[in-house]
Amino acid sequence: MDPSGVFPTSYRADRRVVRTRWQALALLLFLAVMLAAPHLAGGRIIAVLNLMLISAVIAVGLQICTGYAGQINLGQAAFMGVGAYTAAILASRFGLTFLLTIPLSGVAAALFGFLFGLTAARIKGFYLALTTIAAQFIFHFAVLNLPGSWLGGSNGITVPPAELFGFRFVTETSQFYLNLIVAGVMIAGAFGIIRSRFGRAFVAVRDDDVAAGIMGINVAATKANAFLIGAFYAGVGGALWAYMIRFVAVDQFTLFHSIFFVAMIIVGGMGSIVGALIGVFVIRIIQEIIATVGPNIADSVSFLGGDIVFAGMNVILGGIIALFMIVEPKGLMHRWNILKSSYRIWPFPY
Amino acid sequence: MTGAGADQPLPLAVRGATLKFGGVTALDDVSITVKADELLAIIGPNGAGKTSLLNVIAGFYRPQAGRIELSGENVTGLRVDQIARRGMARTFQGTHLFAGQTVVENIMVGRHMLMKSNVIQAFFHYGPVMREETGHRAVAEEIIDFLEIEAIRNQPVGTLGYGLRKRVDLGRALAQEPSILLMDEPMAGMNSEEKEDLARFILDVREARRIPVVLVEHDMGVVMDLADRIVVLDFGRVIAEGTPAEIQKDPAVIKAYLG
Repeated sequence: MDPSGVFPTSYRADRRVVRTRWQALALLLFLAVMLAAPHLAGGRIIAVLNLMLISAVIAVGLQICTGYAGQINLGQAAFMGVGAYTAAILASRFGLTFLLTIPLSGVAAALFGFLFGLTAARIKGFYLALTTIAAQFIFHFAVLNLPGSWLGGSNGITVPPAELFGFRFVTETSQFYLNLIVAGVMIAGAFGIIRSRFGRAFVAVRDDDVAAGIMGINVAATKANAFLIGAFYAGVGGALWAYMIRFVAVDQFTLFHSIFFVAMIIVGGMGSIVGALIGVFVIRIIQEIIATVGPNIADSVSFLGGDIVFAGMNVILGGIIALFMIVEPKGLMHRWNILKSSYRIWPFPY
Repeated sequence: MTGAGADQPLPLAVRGATLKFGGVTALDDVSITVKADELLAIIGPNGAGKTSLLNVIAGFYRPQAGRIELSGENVTGLRVDQIARRGMARTFQGTHLFAGQTVVENIMVGRHMLMKSNVIQAFFHYGPVMREETGHRAVAEEIIDFLEIEAIRNQPVGTLGYGLRKRVDLGRALAQEPSILLMDEPMAGMNSEEKEDLARFILDVREARRIPVVLVEHDMGVVMDLADRIVVLDFGRVIAEGTPAEIQKDPAVIKAYLG
């Protein structure tokens, strides 16, 4: 619902994502802060922001696949891994520029994801979740068991830094700008996809696949497309990850990570791009707080030992996510929308 | 491809459709035809096979024998969405709307198959995609005007009452620009005011948009008032066919209904 006084006067205006002047102002302010962030904040914060930007790309992809198209996906980290390995191999062995490796990583992950999308045409819900877990194990199995000269085996692959006209993206600040630009393009693209006929077809298949078929939507192809797009995003995020860490190994892309991506879109709110971004922010902040507080506790209460504190921190993180699902199962975006519509109609109750 | 002998092929022809579920014969050698601009009603006692017949026509069930022709083209055995793309639209008993979308988005889903843009164009969302969207939006808005649901166009369909949901369901089917429209018990569960509204829209669909309609309905008053021709099914067979006046006097129909 628009605030009072805002009336779109054309269909084009009615489709806008940014609907009011205040929203435009807030967006510009946000972008300005992001662009200035490396000059305002220290290295630690930039490192966290880098992680958030990469997670945002991957979570937005998962949001399209799971939140919009309703296809449960517990293999997003494996798709990210395929992207990261593709970028690592193309960059280290073939010396390709990141301008090519990043989209190619997306394509490689998309093809891998598409395979699982084909199974989604036949199975639903719980069974689909199990099948996507298989993606994790296939990925791990392939990397660890194929000859070490192919995918690096358990040693991983070292990745050369991204380079453009002799400029090497080695500092956190330069990587931050690379991540910001790529994430910006991918998020803008996500808004494009969900506002198009594909976004509507995804929601149609999610809400009622029988009726979707009657509308002339090829349900099986739409589900496979949802995986294809979701995995493409994961692959692009994986490539950014490879250029940031400059080293890829299988233990960076586990089922554990996949579940965190699912937690992000649930906490933020299913079926909303902004919700995915909020979820990334909240989960990463909590992880960061726990990572900072944990060692301090381990130091001050030394008889507990580092292992117990580390495990306890993960329990707390899991507990926070569980609490979210009980108290706010529709996510923070849902709460925000309720708040927004109530202040827009204030002082009336409806 | 047989065109039924006329210059124009029939919008819909079912020829000798037989459908069995294990030992139960749901449809037994059923043949019906629908002419251009015709409103054909299918009636029958409970379990006569009316909904099975609609499901066979729409492609949900594959008949064991017989064929379905859409404007002269054999569509038997095609997928549901392929049949829809060849001009078949259908409304549901109850509603099968997309609960997470607004009214206008639901109707825009009906335009999906008529739109051409691909995923990469959608990602960048530049000029042609915007023009396509606004062009189809104009058609959707025209349907919204026709169904008099302008005031609720931006409401999520989950919040609407039953009568309005049925109208959105009809709007979504019209957005497909079908060459034939199947309606499965559109009046079920409505009060008489809602029935009158919907009856008016069904007549308008036929008169103004010249879309032939196949109507499965229990409400005899509605059927007798609206239909040009009636087919009566009982135990999966066609037992009578004719104008409302003929059907009312047909002894086989009276026997089927009164036992």
